[in-house]
Amino acid sequence: MIATIVDTNALWQTIAGAFVAGVGTTIVFSLAILGAARFSEASREGHRLHATFFGALMAISLLLTAAAIVVGVIVMTTKS
Amino acid sequence: VSESDLILGIVVATALAFDFTNGFHDTANVVATSISTRAMPPRIAVGYAAVLNFAGAFISLAVAATVAKDVVDAGAITPTVIYAGLIGAIAWNLTTWYFGLPSSSSHALIGGVVGSTFVAAGADAIFGEGILGKVLVPALIAPVLAFVVGGIGIVACYRIIGRQKPGPVTRGFRLGQILSGGLLALAHGTNDAQKTMGVITLALVANGSISAEAEVPTWVIVSAASAIALGTYTGGWRIIKTMGTKIIKMDSAQGFSAQGAGAAVILASSHFGYPLSTTQVIAGGVMGAGAGKRISAVRWGVAGDIVSAWLLTLPAAAAIGGITYAFVNLFPGAVGPLIVSALGIGLVIYAFARRMRKVEMVPA
Repeated sequence: MIATIVDTNALWQTIAGAFVAGVGTTIVFSLAILGAARFSEASREGHRLHATFFGALMAISLLLTAAAIVVGVIVMTTKS
Repeated sequence: VSESDLILGIVVATALAFDFTNGFHDTANVVATSISTRAMPPRIAVGYAAVLNFAGAFISLAVAATVAKDVVDAGAITPTVIYAGLIGAIAWNLTTWYFGLPSSSSHALIGGVVGSTFVAAGADAIFGEGILGKVLVPALIAPVLAFVVGGIGIVACYRIIGRQKPGPVTRGFRLGQILSGGLLALAHGTNDAQKTMGVITLALVANGSISAEAEVPTWVIVSAASAIALGTYTGGWRIIKTMGTKIIKMDSAQGFSAQGAGAAVILASSHFGYPLSTTQVIAGGVMGAGAGKRISAVRWGVAGDIVSAWLLTLPAAAAIGGITYAFVNLFPGAVGPLIVSALGIGLVIYAFARRMRKVEMVPA
């Protein structure tokens, strides 16, 4: 009976989408902060290879965070 | 001015008053975490949220005029029914503000309209399945989903940044909160200002001022956006305190995780067409971010008060809406709404004055 009252398809999609977006964005932004912290540490100590790796981690993670925000705004503007 | 136009004018003013309380009441959900982790100063945070709420109201008009759809029989809706429903919603919003409890403005509005429709047209005009599917089941799912997403998010976050120096980490997450808080405010504007636009449009249609197929008039969009932004800027500081410091004492990572979980759940529910309450989602996210660090970090007594307010929202707003409709109907024409509005304004002034006096009595 509940299945006829509740749109279970939309419900499962909402749960999956919220989980991926919410946990995913937190992980990606945490990686950006880790990258930034370790990049500045490695740069200060003159470890160029480490600095390059963590700099790249920071840049990619920030790009992914920005992409998540853009997707969020698109979702808002195109909701039906 | 004809009598029906006068009633319509009162309904529009009441709808805008509801919109103001919606912004005022729900500001807390958007800005509380940013303020408590010092990501932004309080006035800047509410100003930022007000601007984005205003902008959000213009982004999408897709859900206007659907606020009570599937919950009550559209044929039973009259301007007086809408008026009584709005009074139920405003009264409940102000009551929960008085006690500093975050509750759903949307559920209050639906409850108010259900109550007034019940008194006006009887039980047959109420769609029980609609209430179950659109209000009760989502009310169960929203906080639980946000709790789980916020909780798992903060656990993953602490694993990643656990051994770093706290200074840069705190600064980084505070910056992140400015973005996640902005997304939340924008999402709130797109969702909640729409409801007032829907209510005013419904009243205009019921009054015969516009046809049912007409688009939402520009003045309705501008006035609804302005009312919610103004309410947001005024700021419901009592609820901000509950959301920001009373449920958990949060750090900036928890604030980011709670806001990220809230934004993700709201946007996912918008995208897949599953209606969830903004208030319940964010409160669930805050509790999840607290419990993810340590279960005992959440003040479960405060959480219990909030859940009680959620459970009471629909029946309490419905009861006030129903009683208001019955009272208004005792008088001819616009006399009833005028009396109720005057009484309501008097009560609001009294409650504000009482609250302000209590604040002044607390030593600095």
